[in-house]
Amino acid sequence: MRFLVLLFVLILSACGKEPLVQTKSYVFGTLVDISIYGETEDKAREVTSHILQDFQRLHHQYHAWQSDSELSKLNQTFAAGKRPVEISPELAQMLMQAQVLSKKSQGLFNPAIGSLIGAWGFQRDEFTPIEINDLAIQKLVQLNPQMSDIVIKGNTAFSKNPAVKLDLGGYAKGYALDLALVELQKKGVKNALVNIGGNIIALGQHGDKPWRVGIQHPRQPKPMATLDLPSGWAIGTSGDYQRYFEKDGKRYCHIIDPRSGYPAQSTQAVTVLIPPSPQAGVLSDVASKPIFLSAPDQRANAAKAMGVEHYLVVDAEGKVMLSASMNQRVHWLAKPATIVMQ
Amino acid sequence: MTQPSKNKSIEIQTTSDDHRIAKLAAFAIGLHLIEAVLPSPLPGVKPGLANIVTLFVLYRFDFATVAWVSLLRVFASSLLLGNFLSPTFALSLSGALLSLAVLFFAQYLPRRYFSAVTLSVLAAFAHMAGQLLVVRVWLIPQSGVAYLIPIFMAAALVFGVANGLLTNYLLRINQAKLDEDKG
Amino acid sequence: MASAFRWSKPLLGDVLVILVGLIFVTCLFKALWHNEHAAKLQIRLGDKIYATYSLDQNRNIDIQGPIGITRIVIANGKARFASSPCPNQYCVHQGWLSHKGQAAICLPNQVSLELLGGEKPFDSLNY
Repeated sequence: MRFLVLLFVLILSACGKEPLVQTKSYVFGTLVDISIYGETEDKAREVTSHILQDFQRLHHQYHAWQSDSELSKLNQTFAAGKRPVEISPELAQMLMQAQVLSKKSQGLFNPAIGSLIGAWGFQRDEFTPIEINDLAIQKLVQLNPQMSDIVIKGNTAFSKNPAVKLDLGGYAKGYALDLALVELQKKGVKNALVNIGGNIIALGQHGDKPWRVGIQHPRQPKPMATLDLPSGWAIGTSGDYQRYFEKDGKRYCHIIDPRSGYPAQSTQAVTVLIPPSPQAGVLSDVASKPIFLSAPDQRANAAKAMGVEHYLVVDAEGKVMLSASMNQRVHWLAKPATIVMQ
Repeated sequence: MTQPSKNKSIEIQTTSDDHRIAKLAAFAIGLHLIEAVLPSPLPGVKPGLANIVTLFVLYRFDFATVAWVSLLRVFASSLLLGNFLSPTFALSLSGALLSLAVLFFAQYLPRRYFSAVTLSVLAAFAHMAGQLLVVRVWLIPQSGVAYLIPIFMAAALVFGVANGLLTNYLLRINQAKLDEDKG
Repeated sequence: MASAFRWSKPLLGDVLVILVGLIFVTCLFKALWHNEHAAKLQIRLGDKIYATYSLDQNRNIDIQGPIGITRIVIANGKARFASSPCPNQYCVHQGWLSHKGQAAICLPNQVSLELLGGEKPFDSLNY
């Protein structure tokens, strides 16, 4: 009889719901959504909370406008002069990776323009219209802060240009995705989907189907398409609809062109799909920006420079342009009026 | 329910079978009708008292008699209740057929370990499954009824056990009586 | 004679069957009962979808079925059969439905209700 009860309990614990554990949380000032499939609920929760702790740490350590973060302290020494200061090995590695990507993008991806981003009021938790000070913006552009101004030697860094003010807002979420993927694999998780503020990386699949993600419509409160995200792939979108304010009927989004100092106006959204690599997450965050900021005839070149094969652009008029390889992967939910292949 | 042995004669052997089936079916129909007029919290959840007769017959007679009694009950009850060939009849028939199919195999389970309780539970699950199958493929072919399946099956288990225990009890009384008649 | 009136002791096989039955039913509950609140109400008339309504509203819906008018009420994120021309009134007695997957059926008037979740055709949204 005791044996029977034991058997009963064992069999009972084996049966149950579809083993998907989804956790939504709020880090990096945005929604973090972690789905783990095929693990016990306890394990999934443990791994998830571990990853969220990592995210919290990244968020605080590399916060762009909290004065006590490691990044803010570095910015202060950059502004003070050319004295090298010790930084964490992780930050050193992040900055070197960002330097390489910034160079590839010919300066269109430029995390050194923190002052400009602040001037536009995007270094706040809410986005209310600001008084646009054209003169101040012009001045900030002329100071020409570049990632290449930063000199990293071992675990020390200094800036040749005191105008360099780092804001990793367009990089840190992608970095966190790559970190999460490593963490998941280290813990033996086979299937997971991590979404940080719209940037998503996939591991394994959802049961017998690949993970499927929706792509937000830039002007309507619904997705416009879905696509399957195979294991190791990442997807990221830069849109003018995420963080922006409107003033005098004009939309000012948080993606600022480092060349002019003004928010980009020619694009609604750029989505990039990145194949597996150790920096897939970072690329999904970074690579959409240069395409977003490029003139319409330069988008294909910008994508090529960033090594991006799969991309989709919604221009200012809502016209959709996408690469042939991207076209093979998207399933339209609301087919746009105009599609142009590139 | 027992046949007084003095009435048995070779000439009316076949009609005696018929009588026996008719008599047992009448019992089952009676129980079926009582249940049909009793209020139920959820359509489809019923004790299935008629199954006691079915099981009793299986133990005392043979599978052919069980099949006759069971099917007669379904047809006659629906004629009496006026729902012949209606969805209710289809539910009843599919339940009875599936439960017969299960009993056909279950009757060979070793009696040393499995009593009428096992047969009753299996039959009740099969009965419910047969009904749900009709609901799913014919009456409402969408997943909506899925929500009710656990309730139906839980009820089937509870009533299955109860009916099985009752059948065991009746079989014991009957056995004692048979022994008495013999002795 | 006396022994005949005692309940028979449960046999090993019976106990096994009952245990397996319990496991089976528990699994069914686990697998089929969601505690998620529903987002939409789908009404079917006969074999066709009559309409789908959001539960974020309060309204009455009257449906002409084969034997008369069935009234369905949506209120406070729940839905129910309010009145029905059917003789047994099973559907009305089912009461309020509020969770995803719940359903109520009126066979005589061929009206059925099913609550749907806010289901998405994807796992996560890229934005």
